Amino acid sequence: MSEPDSPRWLDEITGELRREVPVRSAWRARLLEEVARAPKPSARDDIDDRFSDWQEISGHPERRRRSITLGPLAGLAAATLFVAIGAGITYTAMSSRAGSHQAQRAATATGPQLVSGAPSPVEREVVRFELSAPRASRVALVGSFNEWNPAATPLSRDPASGKWVVSLRLPPGRHVYAFVVDGDVTTDPAAPRAADDDFGSTNSVVFVSSPRT
Amino acid sequence: MIVRRLALAIAFACGAGAAGAQVVDRTLPSQLSPSTRATLERLIDSARVAGLPVDPLYSKVSEGVFRSADEPRVVAAVQRLARDLGDARTALGDSAAAEEITAGANALRAGLHPADLSRLREARGHKSGHPLTVALVVIADLATRGVPPAMAAASVNELVTRNVSDGSLLSFRQNVERDLVGGRSPASALDARTRAMIDDERRRP
Repeated sequence: MSEPDSPRWLDEITGELRREVPVRSAWRARLLEEVARAPKPSARDDIDDRFSDWQEISGHPERRRRSITLGPLAGLAAATLFVAIGAGITYTAMSSRAGSHQAQRAATATGPQLVSGAPSPVEREVVRFELSAPRASRVALVGSFNEWNPAATPLSRDPASGKWVVSLRLPPGRHVYAFVVDGDVTTDPAAPRAADDDFGSTNSVVFVSSPRT
Repeated sequence: MIVRRLALAIAFACGAGAAGAQVVDRTLPSQLSPSTRATLERLIDSARVAGLPVDPLYSKVSEGVFRSADEPRVVAAVQRLARDLGDARTALGDSAAAEEITAGANALRAGLHPADLSRLREARGHKSGHPLTVALVVIADLATRGVPPAMAAASVNELVTRNVSDGSLLSFRQNVERDLVGGRSPASALDARTRAMIDDERRRP
């Protein structure tokens, strides 16, 4: 098809160029065989090409690209290892930031007592709770620090004093709690009280100061 | 290239670990009905958006379940606490720590007036960055033992003005309790113990 206003000699040349080139059928068949036999191209080929270019640019043709191939399980194990390393590094950093404390202090002269200040994440202090209940067979601690779960923090009887005791790591701040003595809920007689809790009950309060104060 | 990829992977893992360490997952007890859970979640979300501490609200729900309170009562308790937390924050100021706000809410619950909280904040002033938590705990405790809240607040106010330590405030509370158990009147017990503590502080080097 000729374009409008184009010279005739140009039409002849373009017509000749557009004419289909005859190809021998044998040549065509051989070409198709070669194409079928050739390996399929992959993304690595592109990377290899770029690596080869880099080798030339950097002037280090003797360097060889190394590749690591991981199967699915090995890949999963490697990913798990990396996450564990990350969590461990984070834990270590947070622990060292908390500092160490060796002084023994008492939150109150009686009642819950701060026992030690071993370094721990989130600057927790060890607080000792104790209750004199010589006729009890089971005592548990419930409070804001254990979701008020009576199964979470049982006390044990101290053979020396006969009192029921337990030590907990608590973060700084105000915590409310109560004892469950053979199924009955009772406050700590040696601790400050909190106002009515809207459930017709009174709770005890322990205050844990920040280790830095 | 491999070393760089390994470094990136480790850096990513550290970030994921740090992010995981900061996320605290609080959930409501499973015993609650779906409608109550939805109501409580809305309440707690509102409190969170308002910048109030929400741990006490979750704890209140857990306590209600522990004490076998019926669900409307649990919801009412959480609503009331959220309101008290807001009032305490208003009285103590926006810079008040979460533990101060919680202790302040309990002091309001014990009968203290918000103006008393504001006076306590003024008494501390900017002399120290020390929270008023223990002072508020002591006031609430004395109020539960029959001491008029305003009277308890006035005494503690006096001690806070003189920068009495938390340990001394807790000892003060114990001594007043002992006097009350011994039959002394609240006014008499407070007056005597406040004077004694002020004298002790004066004698300190």
